[in-house]
Parts: sequence; C-alpha cells; structure tokens
Amino acid sequence: MNERANAWRRRGVLAGLAAGAASLAAPSILRAAPSGTPVRVGGTLSLTGFLAQTAAIHKIAAEIMVNEINGRNGFLGRPVEYVLLDDQSKPEVARSLYEKLITVDKVDLIQGPYATAPILAAMGVAQRYGKVMIQSSMGIPKLQTYDRAFPATPFGPEPDKTYPNVILDAMASLPHPPKSILVLTSKFPSAQFMAKGMREQAEKRGLKVALYLEYESGNRDFGAIAARVKEADADFLWVGSLGLESNQLLEALHKLDYKPRNHFHLYPAPGPLALSPDGDKALCSTFLEPAEPFLSRPGVKRIAAEFKERATKANLPYAVIDAQAAGMVSEWQILEAAVNGANSLDDKVIADWLKKHRVETIYGSLRFDGPYNHGDAAQLIKQAQNKEWKVVWPKAFAAPGVTLMGT
Amino acid sequence: MTDLLVVTGLRAGYGRAVVLSDISFRLGAGEAMAVLGRNGVGKTTLVDSIVGVTRRFDGSLVLEGRELAPLAPEQRAALGLGWVPQERNIFRSLTVEENLTAVARPGPWTLDRLYGFFPRLKERRANSGGALSGGEQQMLAIARALATNPKLLLLDEPTEGLAPIIVEELLSALARLVRSEGLAALIVEQHAHKILPITRSTLILERGRIVHQGPSDELLAEPARLEKFLGVSAR
Amino acid sequence: MPSATLLGQALISGVLAGGMYGLLAMGLSLSWGLLRLVNLSHFALAFLSAYIVYELGTKYGVAPWWSAAMVVPLMFAVGASQYWLFDRFRVNELASLLITFSFAVIVEAGIQIYWTADYRRFETHYATESIKAGPFFIPVLDLTMCIVASVLAWGTWMWLRKTYVGKGLRAAAEDADIAAAYGVDHRKLAYILSGIGAAYAGIAGTFIALIATLAPAQIWAWLGVVFAVVIIGRLGNPMGALLAGMLIGASESLAMAVLSPAWAPVVSFSVLIVILLWDPEWL
Ligand SMILES: Nc1ncnc2c1ncn2[C@@H]1O[C@H](COP(=O)(O)OP(=O)(O)OP(=O)(O)O)[C@@H](O)[C@H]1O
Ligand SMILES: [Mg+2]
Repeated sequence: MNERANAWRRRGVLAGLAAGAASLAAPSILRAAPSGTPVRVGGTLSLTGFLAQTAAIHKIAAEIMVNEINGRNGFLGRPVEYVLLDDQSKPEVARSLYEKLITVDKVDLIQGPYATAPILAAMGVAQRYGKVMIQSSMGIPKLQTYDRAFPATPFGPEPDKTYPNVILDAMASLPHPPKSILVLTSKFPSAQFMAKGMREQAEKRGLKVALYLEYESGNRDFGAIAARVKEADADFLWVGSLGLESNQLLEALHKLDYKPRNHFHLYPAPGPLALSPDGDKALCSTFLEPAEPFLSRPGVKRIAAEFKERATKANLPYAVIDAQAAGMVSEWQILEAAVNGANSLDDKVIADWLKKHRVETIYGSLRFDGPYNHGDAAQLIKQAQNKEWKVVWPKAFAAPGVTLMGT
Repeated sequence: MTDLLVVTGLRAGYGRAVVLSDISFRLGAGEAMAVLGRNGVGKTTLVDSIVGVTRRFDGSLVLEGRELAPLAPEQRAALGLGWVPQERNIFRSLTVEENLTAVARPGPWTLDRLYGFFPRLKERRANSGGALSGGEQQMLAIARALATNPKLLLLDEPTEGLAPIIVEELLSALARLVRSEGLAALIVEQHAHKILPITRSTLILERGRIVHQGPSDELLAEPARLEKFLGVSAR
Repeated sequence: MPSATLLGQALISGVLAGGMYGLLAMGLSLSWGLLRLVNLSHFALAFLSAYIVYELGTKYGVAPWWSAAMVVPLMFAVGASQYWLFDRFRVNELASLLITFSFAVIVEAGIQIYWTADYRRFETHYATESIKAGPFFIPVLDLTMCIVASVLAWGTWMWLRKTYVGKGLRAAAEDADIAAAYGVDHRKLAYILSGIGAAYAGIAGTFIALIATLAPAQIWAWLGVVFAVVIIGRLGNPMGALLAGMLIGASESLAMAVLSPAWAPVVSFSVLIVILLWDPEWL
C-alpha cells in the first residue's frame, strides 16, 4: 500500500514536470503554420447506434486536437486532416470502413475507434496493412496482441488485478471499512473481466463476497436485481455497469427504499449518474477530471475550456471534459509526438519510436514498453459529491479539502 | 311493374379473360329469379359482377335508376345489395352475433327478427363463425346479407354441400323470404326442381351467355326443355 | 433458496415492468393484427413522444399529463398520416416492415440531431416514489402506468367488440374484400385504427419519459421482447398483449430473482416458444 502510494506520488511529480510541456503550452502564433499537402488520418467513431453518446464526446475532442496540432507544426510541417467515418457502433462496419480508409482513401495514418469490439475489428485490419493504431478504450489489455497497437489510456497491462486493489485501498481507508462486498456486473466482456478480478482480489483481502451476480447487457428491468441487492445488503456494492445501467439500478433500489452504503460503478454515463439524486457518493474510476491537479498539466486548461465551449454548442448536457474525452486527446497527443519525434510517416518507424520513448499526454507521462505495449496503471477514484465528480483517491490527486466519503 | 335491376349488354370476367358476354335482363321489384346452368358457365361471375368484384368490360347495371358500374363494392352494398357468396365467406373470427351486427344497417331486419327467422343462430350467437357447421354457416351467410337490409338478395348456390334435411329447411326459409316477405332475389341453384317452385322467373346460362329467359312455372311444366339446357333431368 | 419477500418483490416489479411491454405491444398488435401492417416505427414514435414530454417538462416546466394531452393527439395525427402513405402506395405486410423501419431510422436520426446522442433524463419526484405494502414496495409510477395500460387494453378490447368500427375492422382484417362487399369501408376505419395505435405510442412515450432515461438508440431496446409479447398475446388482441406483457415481465423478473439476472433475455423467447408449441386453448 505504501509502495503504491509512493508510486502515485512519483507519477504526480512526473506529471508536474512534464518534459513535453513546451510543445503543449507554447502559443501557436510563435510557430509557422503547417503547409503542403495534408497528412490524412483516417478513423471511425460510433456516431450512430448504441455507442453514439460517447462518440459525440470523442468527435469534439478530436476536432479540438486536430486544430491544436495544425496551430502548431502539424505533422512534419504538413497540416493534418482527420477523415472520420461512422461505424454505426457495429464491429463489422468498423472493419470494412478501416479497409476502405486504408485501401481506397489511402490515408497516411489511422486512429482507433471507440469500444473493445470495434477496436478489435479495426485492429485486425490495421495488422494486415501494418498500420500503427492508437486506441483509448480497450478495457482488456491482453486482447491487444498486435505489436503496433498502442493504448492511449493508462489501464496498465493487468487492470483486473491493479484496479480492484486501488478501490479496496480506498475502501480500507474509510473509518468503517466494508466487511462484505456484492459484485454485480453486466456480461459485457470488459465489465465481466473487471468483475471477476474484483471478486478475486476482494476474497484475497478477506472481504466476504455476499453475492456475485451477472446480468445480460441491455437488461431493461432492474427491479428483481434490486430486490436481490437489498436482500444481500452488503457493505460495499460494486457494479460492473455500462452507460445508464447504474442509474437504472439505483432508481430501482430507491423504489425499494434501499440506499447502498458504499457503491462503485465501472463504466457509467458520468453526467446522468452525478446529476441523479441517487448517484450521491457514487464511486467511479477515472484517469482525469477537470480539476486540480490535472488542469495544471500543460495545455489541459485550454483544451478543457475549448471542450466546454464546443460541447455546449453541440448541445451535450454534460459539457465538461472527462476521462472519455481525454482518451481522444491522448490518442492525438501520442500520434503527434510519435510522428514528429520519429520524423516519419512510416508505421514501422513510428511504432519503434513509441516503444522507446515516453509521451507527455493529458493523462501524464505514458510509456509503451511493457506487456501488450502498456505502461504503468494510473487509475484514480472519483466520487459524486453534490452532483459533481471529485477525485478522492489516491489522496495525492484529491483537490485540497476533498476527501473520500463513506457511510 | 317497376324494374329493380336492369342489366344491359354486360360483358365481364377476370383479368383479361371474358367470362360473360351480352348479358341483358330485368328484375322487377319483389321478384325472385332463378339462375340455372351447368358448372362453370358463369353463374357466380354474374352474381359477382353485380356485387362488383369482377372486371367489367362493357355494359351497364342499373339498380333503382342508379348506375352501379362506376361504384366500388362497399358503395354498391350501401345502395341495397345483400350478397351470399358461394363460398359463404362468413367472418370466422367473429361471433355469430358480431357477423350480423358488424354489417347491420337500419331496416326491418333487426337482430331479433333474424334470430326469429333462424332460431339455430340465436342458440349459437356467442360461438365464433368458424365453429359453425356447414348448414349453420349458410344460414349465417344469409342472415348476414339480410342484416344489411338489402333491396336485392343475391344467393349463390345456397344449398350446395348441405345435408338433404338442411336443404329442405333452407329452401323453406327461402320460400318464406321471397313469397311472404316479398324480397327481390337472384338465386343461383343446381337443383332446378327445388328452386323453380319458389321463383317467378328463370335465367339459364350457357358458356357465359343467356340461352333462356322466362317464367319459372313454364319451365317446370316442360321438363324436356330443362333437360336440353341443363343436360340433366329436372326430376 | 430466495426468501418469500424477494420472490414477492420480484413478482411485483416484474408484473409492473411487463405493463410497459404490454403498453408498447398494444399499438403494434392492433396495426399488425387488424391492418396487416407491421409498424416498426411504433417504437420510434413512443420515443419521440418521450422526448417531447421531456423537452416540455424540462424546458418549460409543463406537467407530464399536460404534455401527454398534447402528444397523444399529435401522435394520432402522425399515425393516421402514416396510413395515408400505406394506402397510397398499397403497402403489404412485408413492405410495411421495411418502410416503417426506415421511418424509425429517420426519427432516430432526427432525435439524435435535435437532442444529441447523449442520455436525457426527466427528473421528477414521482420517479422513485413507492407505496409500502407489508414487506413489499410498489413503485407509484409503474403502478399508474399499469393501471392506465389496463384501462386502455380493456377499453380497446370492448371497443373492438361492441362498436361498429371495431367489428368492421375485425371483419375486414379477416377478409377485406368480403367486408367491403357488405359495406364495411375498411380504409376509413383503418385511418382511425392507425391513429389510435400511434396515440398509444404517445401514452407509452409519456411513461417512458418519466420512468426511463432517454437515448436515441434506446428505440430498439424493446423491439425483441415486445414482438414476443405481441405474438404471445395474439395479433390484434389488446387484452392479450397486456397479459402477455405481464407474463413475460413476471417470468423475466422471477428468473432474475431465482436463477441469475443473465437469464432474463432468454426468458421472453423461451416463453414464446413454449406457448407456440403448446398452443393452449385459453389463448
Ligand atoms: N377468379 C377467376 N379468374 C379467372 N377465371 C375465373 C375466375 N373465377 C372463375 N373463372 C372462370 O370463369 C368461368 C365461370 O366461372 P363461374 O365460377 O362463374 O361458374 P359457375 O357457373 O358459378 O360454376 P359453378 O357451378 O361450378 O359454381 C369458369 O371457366 C372459370 O374457370
Ligand atoms: Mg358458381
């Protein structure tokens, strides 16, 4: 535990000293505008279909980054153009669109899609053509078997082991640490993967697993599940949820007049969960929040302001930059650093460069030389307090005066 | 006597096939007319052409001074045509009573009166149409046509496929309808000897054309002529 | 073994959740059974209504029942106009599936453009209110929805049985040509029915706005289970749709309580298959 806390502190310091700060913080007017034929970067996002709500966030983040990069030096002094297509949240569509981007549109580089299934589909195509692919949202690192695929989000190589322990550390710090845990999860692969790890690590640390339950993704009615959660009445409720499922569960619990004592949610829709009256004190993992100390990272304040403006204009109800948007920001920061660092558009050269260098991103300093091209894990825990997400754990990342609240 | 229905030069059929040609006849108010002919000569086509479910190539059909030709079946029905199709086509998913009330229009044939006329139907009022026997279905088909309070009843082989005892029952009901009630009717029949006594006039078809028109009692008196047209004895 | 409280609670929430399946199934069942049109856009209309109720409620503070009073007639008009198109282009059962699917996709896109793909939640205090009955909790909103659904189902059922329009529709559904020959103007009745079906989508949408969180893609979330409900409840039978909805809801919920929640999606189709094979007389 101490060692981990130290690691965190070290990372915090590193982030503060970020070596690439210059490139991110320098005002664009000091540089010559990029010129020549644009470097075309192709990618898909799930602009329609069931993943559409996150794609809207990613699209805005990508547009901001392309502008930023073009305001600096572009790629190798040439302007960058993002060729964005809609994969309709379907892996098979993503697969054929990447095929088209590479062979028909002949893009110079590619950028990964969102969510595990489309990423795996696109990764197959990327591998066939040897393209470097950076992605930000594959929750199961060991599936990233292609050696030119790089994660833009610091999950670490084994999040199913590291991640539960961050949560359990946080729980253990409470005045009344939970003695029992209820693990409820969607059968969505990346959620199930984490839930299994959570159960294992909780048992290892001597917590009683009161109940382990799986539900099918797309589950409509949480009434019966809520009744089981209420009956088991564990000290800590861990929910491997996606999107709205957490809100649905908490509302169903409310209808049974039950309030979970401590509750964690895996991949919820952050806006609705924080804003819901039932979401109070909900815990969630994150890599970044629009607060200190993250805003002090180079360029983040500017990107956050820009994001807020564009998201408000696009009528998004939760117009605040968060880990979702940051994933896309990080993808472009990595690509920019790698292309300009390697001084090449050649995928092999870019991939080799990434394996040897660190990149300063919105998430802090990332490296790519570990298993599955992952570096260190950097999960944080945030809590909904007064309808806002606050980073509460590790303590080094909590804003002054903010503490983890238990029951 | 005023004419109820005047058909002149009717040519009709299905798709591109012409089945009926040169059909002209008059039906008086309160007159019952038998339509005879061998299988496939176009009897059903004639009835269906009056109802409006065939293709008309030429000719006119005038009901009480109104030309039917341009009208859709539902409009013709509203003018007073009560049809009993050869296939009966009762609404099998509706109850007996619903079959009657779904199409009912105001007039002397109220539900009570229909039940009085067909007591069997009253017993089975709550059963679905599909649950009825053949005879009951035929009664229902007739009752349903009556429920629309028609001026002209079109009956296409009402006794076909029924047990002899039911046929008798049905024919006596028909006789009451046309004689006592004075309802005008066009009755297609195979059994000439059964229908001739209860109709005033007869129309005989052969290969889509009228080959004989005249009073029914004359034909009844001359079995040889009947046999010539129908190829069967009029026993 | 789960406790009696758990089973009872699961049954209550299942039946109530099933009320929503039934409510959504009703309009679909009517147009499929009586007009031979499989209206996939029913779900889109329900969500469009939900979004309108959400918009009126959150932007202008309109109470949901007033919004419903506006949305339901609007949907009636949409439904009747849809029938005009079907009639105009002589759409058959299969084509109706494709056309209404396209219509649903267009509505989904429209919703996404106006309201974005992000989740929308109409927060009201009704959403989490419950009545306590012994050890059980009965959510007020779900209960209201089920009562409304029951009244509609019963009312529609009586309407189909007792009125000239209702009987004419059923007769025409069985044989439109014959019905026409008896003076039943099928098309005139069809406009009314198509409007009513869509109006039911408006009512369902009002409750969806209050009970669920909205996202454009959610339009398709109910499709499978509601189709199963329509078929189990028998086409064109509103009471059947409601009861089948509650049956499926209760089965799903009990499966979640006794077995595993992951069994829930299998349940509706298992019940469907069992009922199709068994073909019980009471159906
Ligand atoms: N729907 C149709 N399409 C094309 N031809 C038809 C159709 N119905 C009947 N016909 C043809 O029209 C002719 C007359 O048929 P119709 O049914 O009018 O005879 P019918 O005198 O009523 O015979 P039956 O005594 O067997 O009832 C027959 O040659 C038949 O094959
Ligand atoms: Mg015939």
